[in-house]
Amino acid sequence: MLTRKLPYAALLALSALLSGTAARAQDADPAAAPAADAAQKAAEAGADLTAMLWLMGGLTGLIIFVLLMLFALLWQMRPLLREVYALPTIRESWYGRALGLFLGDPVGLTGKYKEDVMAGHDYDGITEYDNDLPPWWKYGFYLTIVFGVAYFIHFHVTRDGELSAAEYQHEMAEAALLSAQLGANDDPNKPTDYQSLTAAADIDAGKTIFAQNCAACHGQSAEGKVGPNLTDEYWLHGGEVNKVYHTVKYGVQGKGMVAWKGKLSSKQMLQVASYILTLQGSKPANAKAPQGEKEAVGKPVARL
Amino acid sequence: MAVLAPAKLPGEEKPLSRAVLASFYDNKIVRDFGVATVFWGIAGMLIGVIAAFQLARPELNMGTPYTTFGRIRPLHTNAVIFAFVGNGIFTGVYYSLQRLCKTRMFSDVLSKIHFWGWQLIIVSAVATLPLGFTTSKEYAELEWPIDIAITLIWVVFGWNMFGTIARRKEKHLYVGIWFYIATFLTVAVLHIVNSMEIPVSFLKSYSVYAGVQDALVQWWYGHNAVAFFLTTPYLGLMYYFLPKAAERPVYSYRLSIIHFWSLIFIYIWAGPHHLLYTALPDWAQSLGVVFSVMLIAPSWGGMINGLLTLRGAWDKVRQEPILKFMVVAITAYGMATFEGPMLSLKNVNAIAHFTDWIVAHVHVGALGWNGFLTFAVLYWLWPRLYQTPIHSRKLMNVHFWLGTLGILFYALPMYWAGFTQGLMWKQFNEEGMLQYANFLETVMQIVPMYYLRGIGGVLYLSGVFLMVYNLYQTAKAGTLLANEKFHAPVVIDHEHSHEGGHWHRWIERRPVQLSIGATIAILIGGAVEMIPTFMIKSNVPTIASVKPYTSLELEGRDLYIREGCVNCHTQMVRPFRSETERYGEYSKAGEFVYDRPFLWGSKRTGPDLHRVGQKYPHSWHYNHMMDPTSMSPGSIMPPYPWLFENDLDYADTPAKISALRKLGTPYPAGFEQVAVQEARKQAAGIAADLAKEDIQVKSDKEIVALIAYLQRLGTDIKVKDEQAAAVAAE
Repeated sequence: MLTRKLPYAALLALSALLSGTAARAQDADPAAAPAADAAQKAAEAGADLTAMLWLMGGLTGLIIFVLLMLFALLWQMRPLLREVYALPTIRESWYGRALGLFLGDPVGLTGKYKEDVMAGHDYDGITEYDNDLPPWWKYGFYLTIVFGVAYFIHFHVTRDGELSAAEYQHEMAEAALLSAQLGANDDPNKPTDYQSLTAAADIDAGKTIFAQNCAACHGQSAEGKVGPNLTDEYWLHGGEVNKVYHTVKYGVQGKGMVAWKGKLSSKQMLQVASYILTLQGSKPANAKAPQGEKEAVGKPVARL
Repeated sequence: MAVLAPAKLPGEEKPLSRAVLASFYDNKIVRDFGVATVFWGIAGMLIGVIAAFQLARPELNMGTPYTTFGRIRPLHTNAVIFAFVGNGIFTGVYYSLQRLCKTRMFSDVLSKIHFWGWQLIIVSAVATLPLGFTTSKEYAELEWPIDIAITLIWVVFGWNMFGTIARRKEKHLYVGIWFYIATFLTVAVLHIVNSMEIPVSFLKSYSVYAGVQDALVQWWYGHNAVAFFLTTPYLGLMYYFLPKAAERPVYSYRLSIIHFWSLIFIYIWAGPHHLLYTALPDWAQSLGVVFSVMLIAPSWGGMINGLLTLRGAWDKVRQEPILKFMVVAITAYGMATFEGPMLSLKNVNAIAHFTDWIVAHVHVGALGWNGFLTFAVLYWLWPRLYQTPIHSRKLMNVHFWLGTLGILFYALPMYWAGFTQGLMWKQFNEEGMLQYANFLETVMQIVPMYYLRGIGGVLYLSGVFLMVYNLYQTAKAGTLLANEKFHAPVVIDHEHSHEGGHWHRWIERRPVQLSIGATIAILIGGAVEMIPTFMIKSNVPTIASVKPYTSLELEGRDLYIREGCVNCHTQMVRPFRSETERYGEYSKAGEFVYDRPFLWGSKRTGPDLHRVGQKYPHSWHYNHMMDPTSMSPGSIMPPYPWLFENDLDYADTPAKISALRKLGTPYPAGFEQVAVQEARKQAAGIAADLAKEDIQVKSDKEIVALIAYLQRLGTDIKVKDEQAAAVAAE
């Protein structure tokens, strides 16, 4: 019963859709009136786009409607089609198999079962049938071959696809746009003029960052292990907060100080630099011998 | 030659009539291989369980060199592949081949040489791998004298097999035998080509291939070891034992033809899918992708033919544990061979590669397909060999469920771990920085999964113990039918030879032509991929600044190989932003031209090391190798205290230099004479640097050489300078 009503319902839906499109197109008309300024031009373009979308939607709807109609028609013709399908010449053809699927006969997917064992095929009691290759398997195989050829052409003949290196450049270019937006300053030679952070929240955050990332080399209390002691007044690369920040950010090539740029954010690096400077004079146990030059922290030795 | 004459049994009967000859199948050799299968299966899986828990609890490395993960992981893989599955293959082949050819094995002596030779090879693997004698090429770790022994024993196997085929009383070769023949031929080609190496000493050699070429050859081998050691012989076994156990005809003869030829032809091409996004040339990577996708249908052909053979016998499956094992085996095969092509798609591979996802994938195949089919075959054989019903069907069922649960407990956590870690590696935060910049964070996240996986392994292994008990009780209850009497036609019946049958019948009567056809099919793919990679220079663009390793670095590299570092650390930074941010510039083909063997690795349990050189001070490495948790709290890497005690052995250094020069490394003439002296000089420099950081170490300790190598890694290309220049130019 439902199938009988289906075409009418679809027709109704389509007419509603089309009239909607028409109405929208009329709405858009006043906006299309001549206007001098750019804003109105933009609005006009927007209106055109809306009209276009509605038109496309309408067309798609129309196509779906026609297909539905066809399907409904075929569905009603099933008794007739069964008679056609019964004809051996039809049944053996490819469209016959497609017809079979439509009529609920899965042989087009599974292949035919031949229940007679092949003559002369007896190996230690094992016999063999000569069943068809399952069509779904066979056509699946063809499909993967087509995929293979198309893939190779796409990447190596027409060279439309991005290979590893190009894909990487693309990815990096996108990331560069992002970092430009974030205003990342990545010139090691450009001095910064940060002030030490003093808020308790920042110092706490710095402490956590230190424990997770720095303590392995500098010790839990910054007493120095592989890396130098950070609690004394001696500095290898400067003890002013911007100097410390610079060392944290860019590392020290060849000496083992890792560049934390890209691993910690600017804020995190400033937090940890500020935390380190709070440790001055804390005199931890097992402190490593002083390295570098003596500097009084707090009074910037020289402006960067 | 007399000993190799066809087997004659005392009291062999005179022909009963003109057309029928009574003779005897050799069942004892089948039993022997069966026992070896079980024995090595337990050994290999036990090592696997230990290795699994080592990843969760590093102290299980037990503090000795011989029991650390890096050395026993290859022992596990070799034991389960070549000892467990290998003996499983021979068990099934020796049983089925005799019956499919209606003749006894060609020579009892060859059978015995094959059996004992193979066991000796396994024993030699058990003896050498924990001692650190390894080529480091995955599933081909055994050193050159053992490689030669493998070749010889493999020839014995082939001789025995083809001899049996030549004496067959059956006109046509059954599909199972096609698979056996393809297995024999391809494994021979793979083993010989991949094992090409120049000996330096009795148990040390260098691969004749370097870098990119070595990687290509290795994964052509590695992938096809899966194809022709774990897949084709087991398909052959399936074609014999499944219809036997189900008592049903094989579903489709023509499907077996198509899927046999397409499988062996296409499989060979797919190796490069192990090297996607590496420094392997793009065209070779793409071939790996497309042939992997085309492999779905040929692989599934085997699954379909297996499962549809059970059409009309599914009621039996419900009652017969052997068929249950087989159904799960074939289903696991189908899942793994669908997943494989999906993992070969570059976008999937970008997440899955180097993670535990791959470990899950191979174990579905290994535990499901190979393990379960082996169990089914053993359960089917034992009552027949011992002429008595199986001791307990109930225990078989318990084994089945324990095994199935074991697979699930193994695979699901590993999929979870792989997926989690793969995504964590790639995650950027809003500020454009790696969300998990500390690699260790991504490891700690999945340690619970490592425990679960270990439990899965224990479940699976406990099922195997039940099987041992069951088989032992069965054997005890019965007596071995060492020689099984059978009747075979004396002459092949020419009158009823069906010359006009299916076109493929022609080649089934001709083992030589079949072998030639199979050889051609398996040679094409490898040749197309390898010849251009070796011959055309542009495939590996050279980099002028890349220089050979110094003698100390070379010794350090050999220590890296000995300790099996490559089992957990890759040396291949892929061209992803997430990797160049984490490790540094991505790896270029030209950087590996002096790497014999290549050490790209296949699993990143720890971070990539290709750009580790100069990243940390010597003292960092010194402390880290002594106790990894001192530098990386929570690390699951084992400590390597013996590197600090052992003196570096310079005895082979000159021989190593001249072997490498022979292979093309441009060491200056006469460098052998000064190589040790140079090494000592460099070592003294490193010791002096360490002394500056309050670390006192004698410069002749092994750790110094390892540090020298680690500090050299990936430093030859001056990427940083180039980048600075590029920035300046803009």
